[in-house]
Amino acid sequence: MQNVLSKARTTIGALILSLVGHGAPVVADETCQSPYMTPIKGQEEFVYVWTLGMDGVGDESDKLVTIDVRPDSETYGKVISTYSVGGQHEAHHSGLSDDRRTLWAGTLDDSQLYLFDIATDPAKPRLKKHITDFVEASGGATGPHTVFALPGRVLITATSNNRDHGGRSALVEYTNDGDYVATYWIPTPDNMQGATGKEFADGYNYDVRVLPRKNIMLTSSWTGWSNYMRDSNEVLQDAEAMKRWGNSMTIWNLHTRQPLKVLQVPGAPLEVRWALGEDHNYAFTHASLTSKLWLIYQDDKGEWQAKDVLTVGDPENPTFPGSIVITNDDRYLWWQGIADGTTRLIDVSDPFHPKEIYKKKIGAQINMGSSSWDGSRIYFTSSALSKWDRDDEQAEQFLRAYTWDGKELKQSFSVDFVAEGLGRAHQMRFGAHSLYSDVQTAQR
Amino acid sequence: MALGTLLGALAAASAAGDEDVDVRALARVAAPPLGLPAVPVPADNPLTAAKVALGRKLFFDRRLSHNRTMSCAMCHIPEQGFTNNEVATPVGVRGRSLPRNAPTTYNVAYQRSMFHDARDTSLENQIFGPLLSPDEMANPSVGFLLETIAGAPDYAGLFEAAFGGPVDVIKLGQALASYQRTVLSGNSPFDRWHFGGESDAVPDAARRGYALFTGKAGCVACHALGERDALFTDHGLHNTGIGYVLVAGRAERKDAVKVELMPGVVVPMKLKRGSGGGARREKDLGRMGITDDPRDLYAFKTPSLRNVALTAPYMHDGSLRTLADVVRFYRDGGTPNPALDPLIRPLDLDDDEVAALVAFLESLTGDDVDELTADARSVAVGN
Ligand code: HEC
Ligand code: HEC
Repeated sequence: MQNVLSKARTTIGALILSLVGHGAPVVADETCQSPYMTPIKGQEEFVYVWTLGMDGVGDESDKLVTIDVRPDSETYGKVISTYSVGGQHEAHHSGLSDDRRTLWAGTLDDSQLYLFDIATDPAKPRLKKHITDFVEASGGATGPHTVFALPGRVLITATSNNRDHGGRSALVEYTNDGDYVATYWIPTPDNMQGATGKEFADGYNYDVRVLPRKNIMLTSSWTGWSNYMRDSNEVLQDAEAMKRWGNSMTIWNLHTRQPLKVLQVPGAPLEVRWALGEDHNYAFTHASLTSKLWLIYQDDKGEWQAKDVLTVGDPENPTFPGSIVITNDDRYLWWQGIADGTTRLIDVSDPFHPKEIYKKKIGAQINMGSSSWDGSRIYFTSSALSKWDRDDEQAEQFLRAYTWDGKELKQSFSVDFVAEGLGRAHQMRFGAHSLYSDVQTAQR
Repeated sequence: MALGTLLGALAAASAAGDEDVDVRALARVAAPPLGLPAVPVPADNPLTAAKVALGRKLFFDRRLSHNRTMSCAMCHIPEQGFTNNEVATPVGVRGRSLPRNAPTTYNVAYQRSMFHDARDTSLENQIFGPLLSPDEMANPSVGFLLETIAGAPDYAGLFEAAFGGPVDVIKLGQALASYQRTVLSGNSPFDRWHFGGESDAVPDAARRGYALFTGKAGCVACHALGERDALFTDHGLHNTGIGYVLVAGRAERKDAVKVELMPGVVVPMKLKRGSGGGARREKDLGRMGITDDPRDLYAFKTPSLRNVALTAPYMHDGSLRTLADVVRFYRDGGTPNPALDPLIRPLDLDDDEVAALVAFLESLTGDDVDELTADARSVAVGN
């Protein structure tokens, strides 16, 4: 095991260093993706929605839904393909390989990984591989969440484990072909693996993003299977369970995958978004329970620090942010509130003093937001988790597309995921034919 | 168990795991740790190393659930006192809620009935509750479960070696019971002091706590002690009012509840309408749910208090978080309700005495906890 690990590290290290040296492509939803991946800078053509099966809706199964967003298409704003994987597995996040040929879609409950070929026909994703032994291969990590592209590899954040279904978990690395490479456990107080910050370590995991020019990787923390799979009414009223939310972020050496420092970031810090500017060495995250925006930055001495820079909305009435999206100029951040179904635009041009400048109600509940590279189009989906979604008379499941002109969000179309027999719309990824044209390939 | 049988058992090679672990497990049963009585072993299921090893493998095997996510050990977690310290009530297949706290399986060999409402009769029979309940391991049928095991290459020959025949419902129960029977924990500081005569094995406070426990606090009436050993249970069922609290608190589905999101951050939160699958933690009639006898209303089984410091949260619904909370609950006379057990009444205990009772309860932790965890983790988790 040790051997496998160190061998894997050396190879990847070499790969990463070579890319760093040659000026990695610009980071791109499209602005929140891996720097090792080509962004779609023009018009995205398809939105792939990893959708949870829902009782009483269609075949009740998890599925990959493809929506046509080509403005001149006859089927613009329509579902043009669905691929049902059969059964409910708590579909959640998906991610692309560096060559964008494969969409990896994971399930939080039973740890399945579905690899879809989106290159052969970007309008019609096809399942090319189904990995069923993620838990066995990884040595006990469960609940694959983020899939993050590295050169020739993907790094997957797991969210729980097969020993107690709590929040202690790991990062798991695979090749683009879907072969297991290595597992890196998040530091815990009794196994810090050389990192500092023992008093803050909880071993929890959620998202991962990297800053190659600093050789830094940053992970965040959520909660374990026993909380995210459980009915929210029960979790909220279980004082014991409410103690089990992540309070940490971990700074890693990207090259060696060694944890360096655990930061205290209470309240379940979820998505990690590095600023894109070349001298912007900072990242944002949203603490979901406290509705606070946190900044992770290097201080005067070069030490990584975390600071809460804004409380969004009314603290007595938390927005429970499900996602954040940064704009490509690092000036703004879209903040999606699960509880209020509202997206908020936050001016982060002064990262230490952000302020909310705009908000718009999108629906009864929203979780994910995904924006085009230039920020002129933004898509929202409704579902958080199968047992946390609203279920009152206002409950709805949708994808809604908007345009942003710098002042106002205007809806371009909406797909009702219940009426269409699809389910709970969760996470989105973009596709386009242009990615696979010869010109593009040659450039890369 | 006769010595001859035991030696025979020791000689029988264990097919599934680390043999030393199985030998030690059998030795624990043959000579239980200080403070524990002889282990009752059913005549038709004598303990053997092969059965213990097989039972342990099954206990940690997630393939024993419909979608391969839940093993017995996901709710009875060795590192968490063979219960789950992280939730008041555990969570079954696909996140379904269970209404009750998972009792520890430490020393479960001595339980005369199974479950908080004593509805089952033996460890051998008990397994079909979790294995077939749609809220727990959710096997769609007995046949499905048996086929899963029979079809797993790593089980090839194991049932044959342990029982002389292929897997069936009886053997499955016997194997799981055999492993659980060996999870014995005693020789606690209390045992070494009380039964072993080591005068300085427990702190002063624990001794004062013991005097209260057996004296004016009256705990011993239900959490009984013997002359040479102690299980701290009368094997009976009683109404302490805990069942009634939950009913009282949840009678109306409230619009909003106060939730502590972070230490010190309490906000009102709206509840959903549905239950999201599984049962809600509300309206639990206890033993009366089994007998329909109004005298059994809110009656729950008296748990053993051994290793109780490791098995938080407490009571059948996990509603009390610390031992101090439990003792204060008793001090305040439980929760008055029409069928409250007459032994539960307000107690005249000052804060010092509450602390002494807690110190006593904390002295009941066995000295082989690490060994039992290592024993448990000697087998790979089946996925
Ligand atoms: C989803 C969680 C969960 C799983 C999985 C689970 N249990 Fe339990 N266990 C519980 C709960 C909760 C209770 C109490 C139920 C009740 O009283 O109605 C319990 C009760 C028990 C008891 C009774 C103990 C006593 O003192 O009365 C035993 C023994 C036990 N479980 C063993 C097992 C075995 C063996 C398995 C696997 C075949 C298993 N459990 C799987 C949650 C679980
Ligand atoms: C009338 C009988 C009775 C008396 C007297 C009594 N108990 Fe209990 N005890 C019970 C029962 C029954 C339960 C389980 C209640 C439930 O599950 O809701 C219990 C539960 C407990 C628990 C929680 C154990 C667990 O694993 O959840 C502790 C600790 C405890 N008692 C300590 C005490 C102490 C200390 C006293 C004396 C102050 C005491 N008990 C007096 C019957 C009694």
